[in-house]
Amino acid sequence: MTHPEIYLDYAATTPVDPRVIEAMVECLGPEGDSANPSSSHAPGRRARERVEEARAQIARRVGAAPETIRFTSGATESDNLALLGIMEANRHRGRHLITSRLEHKAVLDAASALQAQGFEVSFTEHDADGVISPDAVEACIRDDTVLVSIMHVNNETGVLQDIAAIGERCRQRGVLLHADAAQSTGKVPLQLDDWPVDLASLTAHKTYGPMGIGAIYIRKGVNVQPLIHGGEQEGGLRPGTLATHQIVGFGEAMELADPDLESPRLAERRDRLWNGLSAIGGVRLNGHPTQRSPHVLNVTFPGVQAESLQLAVSEVAVSTGSACNSDVPEPSHVLSAMGLSDALAAATLRFSVGRFTTESEIDHVVERMQAEVARLRNLARGAPDWTAA
Amino acid sequence: MDYDSQVRQRFLSAHRAGPLNDGAAGLVSGEAEDRTLNVWVRFQLRMRHGAIRTVRYNVYGCPHTVAAAEWTAEWLEGRPAGALDELSMRHCLEVLGVPVEKLGKLLLLEDALAACRRRPDERQD
Repeated sequence: MTHPEIYLDYAATTPVDPRVIEAMVECLGPEGDSANPSSSHAPGRRARERVEEARAQIARRVGAAPETIRFTSGATESDNLALLGIMEANRHRGRHLITSRLEHKAVLDAASALQAQGFEVSFTEHDADGVISPDAVEACIRDDTVLVSIMHVNNETGVLQDIAAIGERCRQRGVLLHADAAQSTGKVPLQLDDWPVDLASLTAHKTYGPMGIGAIYIRKGVNVQPLIHGGEQEGGLRPGTLATHQIVGFGEAMELADPDLESPRLAERRDRLWNGLSAIGGVRLNGHPTQRSPHVLNVTFPGVQAESLQLAVSEVAVSTGSACNSDVPEPSHVLSAMGLSDALAAATLRFSVGRFTTESEIDHVVERMQAEVARLRNLARGAPDWTAA
Repeated sequence: MDYDSQVRQRFLSAHRAGPLNDGAAGLVSGEAEDRTLNVWVRFQLRMRHGAIRTVRYNVYGCPHTVAAAEWTAEWLEGRPAGALDELSMRHCLEVLGVPVEKLGKLLLLEDALAACRRRPDERQD
């Protein structure tokens, strides 16, 4: 009998919560708040009110003042705006950026673009568990350093960086700190105004909101150069007609995303999954065992290729860390940076649990993984040691 | 990644996977590996009266490679020994709908069979 699909890829994107859908749909259509929020007529003012209400909801969830939240298309745009916009606006202060090799491609590629423009980029050290110490960051700071960009919760391993401690060191040295917090909202508490963080990237679709809408937190007084031009929306920082229904959905999603309520349940599901998977011989958990978000589990199954395991348990939606559509798959840059061999990186799956994950789904996944890892290892019996090391 | 039904079926069943008895007469074995491609494969063939009676394999690889090993075993069984020279992984690629980018992995299977061919004495009963 075919088992219904089980979604364990919440770190890639989350389904939109039905309550969010309801709030969004209310905005659309002739009876909704569908006017341009920049228009001065009554329908436009009503749409503007909905936008500002959502801005306040988002700001409350991340511990910030509403005026520090600017809407973007998502975390990738926010990351680009933070890196390119800050470095450009602060050219007079210096040309040096610090980041890590564990960052999302949105940060790494933006850093590469800056290098191509003549800026200098340093990569901070991290330990084997993927943790970046404040000392390691401080060691990279130079007189001409403008910005440090470190991800709050790693999207592949779930490792949680001590952003507040890193920010303290940055502040002591007069350097700005950007944190990609796309994976954080709803899973770990954020207090952006209280922490020494100057910029943060946020997105709706990792927290049961719609795709295509995100935000950037910019501390008051921090100057960012816009990347696009064409209007005064969002203070001229991010011109373009505001997407009221998406913003309303984002706001509602943030209203619902209380980590105090949700995290214990997520952690329980994640731990149940790990308890089951760790019974499989030789498996290893990647990332710090305790300094982590409650929703991500990154597991290596030595001797088994993740692509094969993914197909073998195709009723379970999980993520591999590599692009499998090429002759030589490119291993996850995060796992490689953490010291995994190409073979082990290719034997790794990321499981991420969410609001709608049930215990019985976890139990099914464990049972299927145990059976299929055993089958695939048997298939590879006699293989040389490098396949599992 | 989308997989052709031919790949799915052979990957999931893998009927001919597993070892043959090493001590049996007429057994030839050959293997190949490429660490950069992340593939290892071993074929074992039982020859009798100039024909390939039974083929078994073990493989470490992606679903396409596993399915290709199964297809290869299936194709060879019952054919004369000369079939080893006729087998084409390009044909396998077409039959299974394997993306051309993965041809390099499939060619490792040919290498493993070539290693079987290099042991002519063992082909005899």
